[in-house]
Amino acid sequence: MATTVAVAKQPKRGGRWSPWLFALPALLVYVAFLVYPAVSSLWFSLTNWDGLSATYKFVGLDNYFKLPHDPVVVTAVRNNLIWTVVTIAVPTIIGLLLAIALNGKVHGKPILRLIFYTPAVLPLVSIASIWGWLYNPQYGAINSFLRLIGLDGLAQPWLGQDSTALWAVMVPAIWLRTGFPMLLYLAALQGIPNELYEAATVDGASKWQQFWHVTMPSLRPAHYIVLALSLIDSFKVFDMIYAMTYGGPGTSTQVMGTWMYFNVFQYYQAGYGTAIAVVITLVAIAVGIPYVRSQTKEAS
Amino acid sequence: MSTSYTRRGFLGLTSAAALGAGLSACTGGGASTGGGATQGASNNLRLFTYEDDSTIGLLKAQVKKFDEQNGTTTTVDSLPGSGAAVYPDKLRTELLGGKGPDVWRIWGGQIGSPFAKAKQALDLSKYYDKYGWDSKINTAAIGGMTFDGVKSGVPFLALGVGAWYNKSLFAKAGVSAPPTTYAELEAVNDKLVAVGVTPCGLGGKYGWDIMRLFEYLLEHTAGPDLHDKLLTGAESWDRPEVVEAFTLFKKWQDKKWLPQGALALDPADVEPWYVQGKTAYTITGPWTEAAAILAAKKSSAAFGNFELPTDKSPARHSGFVEGYMINAKSGNADKAAALIDFIVQPATQKAMNITASTVKGAEPDPKTLPLAAQWSQKYGNNPFYTIQDQAFPKKQADQYFSVQSDLLQGKVAPDAASKKMQEIVSAWAKS
Repeated sequence: MATTVAVAKQPKRGGRWSPWLFALPALLVYVAFLVYPAVSSLWFSLTNWDGLSATYKFVGLDNYFKLPHDPVVVTAVRNNLIWTVVTIAVPTIIGLLLAIALNGKVHGKPILRLIFYTPAVLPLVSIASIWGWLYNPQYGAINSFLRLIGLDGLAQPWLGQDSTALWAVMVPAIWLRTGFPMLLYLAALQGIPNELYEAATVDGASKWQQFWHVTMPSLRPAHYIVLALSLIDSFKVFDMIYAMTYGGPGTSTQVMGTWMYFNVFQYYQAGYGTAIAVVITLVAIAVGIPYVRSQTKEAS
Repeated sequence: MSTSYTRRGFLGLTSAAALGAGLSACTGGGASTGGGATQGASNNLRLFTYEDDSTIGLLKAQVKKFDEQNGTTTTVDSLPGSGAAVYPDKLRTELLGGKGPDVWRIWGGQIGSPFAKAKQALDLSKYYDKYGWDSKINTAAIGGMTFDGVKSGVPFLALGVGAWYNKSLFAKAGVSAPPTTYAELEAVNDKLVAVGVTPCGLGGKYGWDIMRLFEYLLEHTAGPDLHDKLLTGAESWDRPEVVEAFTLFKKWQDKKWLPQGALALDPADVEPWYVQGKTAYTITGPWTEAAAILAAKKSSAAFGNFELPTDKSPARHSGFVEGYMINAKSGNADKAAALIDFIVQPATQKAMNITASTVKGAEPDPKTLPLAAQWSQKYGNNPFYTIQDQAFPKKQADQYFSVQSDLLQGKVAPDAASKKMQEIVSAWAKS
């Protein structure tokens, strides 16, 4: 006997506004602390505000038109590109190699993991000071070591000449940024089922083939996270440059972040400096979109 | 486009759009000044400074004395060791945030100027009249804190920069007395290098420290009149005297009279090297006696100072002023002015161990600061030229440092550096 059960429709509490009500507190915080300052910045980039006076004038897109004619902007963009490529590629590759090494049968794994990750948790200003001393041309450990082993000719004023300054700042940046991809890759490697390697071994795959055809494809989600976060981190570069070289010698190690800071806070050209900030933001958004899209696709 | 806006007006407008009328009312859209409206009057004052550990205690003790006499409570905040590269940023941020200090310490010239021009600093003319500061304080020093004819600051320090040296290293090189001519100074440098001592400890990070050498060389080659005109853009930098100064500057590096890789060195690290015996001397001011010599628990007797010989008349050294400004939005301007007047009293200045006070009767005590006292007696009354990072706005000063950097790296020749400087200064003078 068929029975018909009448299901009474329960009225939804709060109706279709419920999700919005729950999201409202977070949205308010987001609007107040992110959207509003961003809109303000956009506006100030269209003015000649000095960053200190009560009044300013609207100058339209003048600040943006000035950017390509500013020789320091050209230097800064070039430095940003070099910085981004090097400080993504090198720590990622070293991090992956360390993760693979630590995933094998290695004695003292927890201690090694700690050693490799420790730079990532040190305050950046401390790192900058430590490396500043290491690089000291007369008394620093690096040049002293080079002289000790008879390579006096290689001893350089590392931070004191245009040709080496940016590269010298990148070394500690690589040192401190290697621990993060190492941890992510290590976690991802531990999630790869052993059966895959066993099957590959049975099929006669060499270690090299296993790496390319089992390990690397399995690490794809980790690659996404490492690359996206490293990319954003690289674009934000400011503190290492500021603390180690102050953008010098001259302006040779200026990046967009420091040049924005110099204009807004030191040269009393807040309008122009904010235009630089807007450009940095737009570029960061543009390169971040593929990551967000990939994450959204995965989630759906 | 000529439409004028107020920052607060814009903030108010966008607040209203984003958050509704109620919230926009909180941000005060109608105010016409940056950093909030005038604060209410109270007995609470805040003083912002950059004193370091060796002097902050002395300042706080005097401020406490003022509070006891006047029924006020003054908070003293300090950002030590940051130098002119960072401190003004912090001050500016505080002022724009609406919670700026009632009184702040600041350098004169182009470092203090933006605060006066933006009207964040109060016009102190009426307090100059009330307390008679014009007759009590060194006139030239007042000029260093007067901007567009407005007295926006009260100078309490007029510091001269000279050579401070380590006597034992001079003796090691066979130098028995400080040089009195430029040629003698070069000879001293050669003797020091010959015994393995780096003569002059200066650091190029930030630019302003190594600049002290170049400005001295420019005074030596150009002389007082031309040097002053160069600083204001009244004369072209593209001239033989400037080329010669740049040539000498490069010579100092090439002959190893400066530390190796000086351009990258932090002045905070390098300045005490003459006390530590790593360099023979540095170019600095009388504060070094407390900050470097006494802080290292060394005897002042082991060190000496001399005015860098320019071979020109009158003999001048680099100098600058420091003083106090009052927040234009302070509700306690009268009490803030009374605090400044208390600070510039000779007794207070002496109690604070001020090494180069602008106030008569506050000369440094030869018993506690013998070298500062010696400098004050021997050179304190000599005229000085404006230190170049106060002569130029920060942007032009950085461009100037950049030229010096390029020259020392051999990227530009002295004559090209002179031409580049002329471009920088003339563009600034026209703006």
